[in-house]
Amino acid sequence: MQLGEFEYLMLTAVARLGDGAYGVAIRQEIEDATGRPCSLGALYTTIDRLEQKGLVKTSMGDPTPQRGGRPKRMVRITSKGTQAATTFYNAVIRVSRGVAWSAAK
Amino acid sequence: MTRIAWWMVESLSRLLDDGEREVVRGDLAECGTRAAHALREVVGLVIRRQAVMWCDWRPWFVMASVVVPIGLLLSYASRSWGVTSAHDISIYWRFWDFSYLAVPGWRRDVIDVAVRIGSGCLALVGWSWTCGFVLGRFSRRTVWLTGLMFAVVVFFGTLGTTIAGQPPENPSLRYHVVFVVLPRFFRTFLVVLPLAWGAYHGSKASSPRLGRTLLGVAVLAGATFLVSQGLERSLVFGGLVPADPGPDGFLISADDPRPLWFLSLVMMWPAAYILAEASRERGTRRPSRA
Repeated sequence: MQLGEFEYLMLTAVARLGDGAYGVAIRQEIEDATGRPCSLGALYTTIDRLEQKGLVKTSMGDPTPQRGGRPKRMVRITSKGTQAATTFYNAVIRVSRGVAWSAAK
Repeated sequence: MTRIAWWMVESLSRLLDDGEREVVRGDLAECGTRAAHALREVVGLVIRRQAVMWCDWRPWFVMASVVVPIGLLLSYASRSWGVTSAHDISIYWRFWDFSYLAVPGWRRDVIDVAVRIGSGCLALVGWSWTCGFVLGRFSRRTVWLTGLMFAVVVFFGTLGTTIAGQPPENPSLRYHVVFVVLPRFFRTFLVVLPLAWGAYHGSKASSPRLGRTLLGVAVLAGATFLVSQGLERSLVFGGLVPADPGPDGFLISADDPRPLWFLSLVMMWPAAYILAEASRERGTRRPSRA
């Protein structure tokens, strides 16, 4: 399964957050990791794409007062998603072997 | 300004699915996002969602088969019939005498005008409603954009052309009503509103009932038959198609060639589609009842 960089970031964030993975938390996780803003459009269209590929599953969470009584969209990584992220990660490790980016600066 | 931005967020988010709209508005509330930023976020999401939908063939199909061709024809027809109807009505209004109904020849003129105006209005409403239905049925989630484009084509399709010659320097109120207000009235109330009404029905999951559809299509076909020459003339006198008076050299006479006769069929195809769908729906419903 081919993954894009942003898709990998999202799968990693979802895996890290576990049961607490939903829109706002995933977005925060990605922004903290990359230092770049993540728009709602990018977030939800990528979640949809990952769901279509069978890499994540989503469900509606309970409404909370903090959200004005509106539900969260909870995201959970599937075994296929875990496998795809592992493959991507291993590829990055392999291709990075022997390259010292800090020294190259 | 903030209230306007939140109102826009609220309005734009209606273009999203119900579930997604609630989630997105919950996210914005939880993050305490400011109005301008929230607006940017929702616009971005709506654009992405729309872009995905326009990757499908259906919105392009309705653009090519309904919005542009039928929208343009309705633009010319509504202007032409708005002007001619206003002329007829204003003349009778000014010179009305009940003797028009007593003398057989005059009475026939009155009836002809009434039938022409009535069938023209009926045809405009029917064509527009069926077009709206097809827009809603083929691509429910892009219907607001295809409907908007349809309205733009209807209102601006005749831009740069005229059937009234140069307007006078100081147009009278009557001139303004006949050549400006009435065509706009026709376009708004007999084209755009029925279009929106049809789009609403087309967007709903339920199919039209066969009996009612048959009756509607028969009425519309009758109105189309009555106004078919008027439709062709609206294009000729609107300057879209060159006029050919035929062997006798006079326009609007019996020997005028009618190379555009097929336009009536073009106007009727959305109605034919609705009829086909209603028939199919009935066919699929029958076995389950048995």
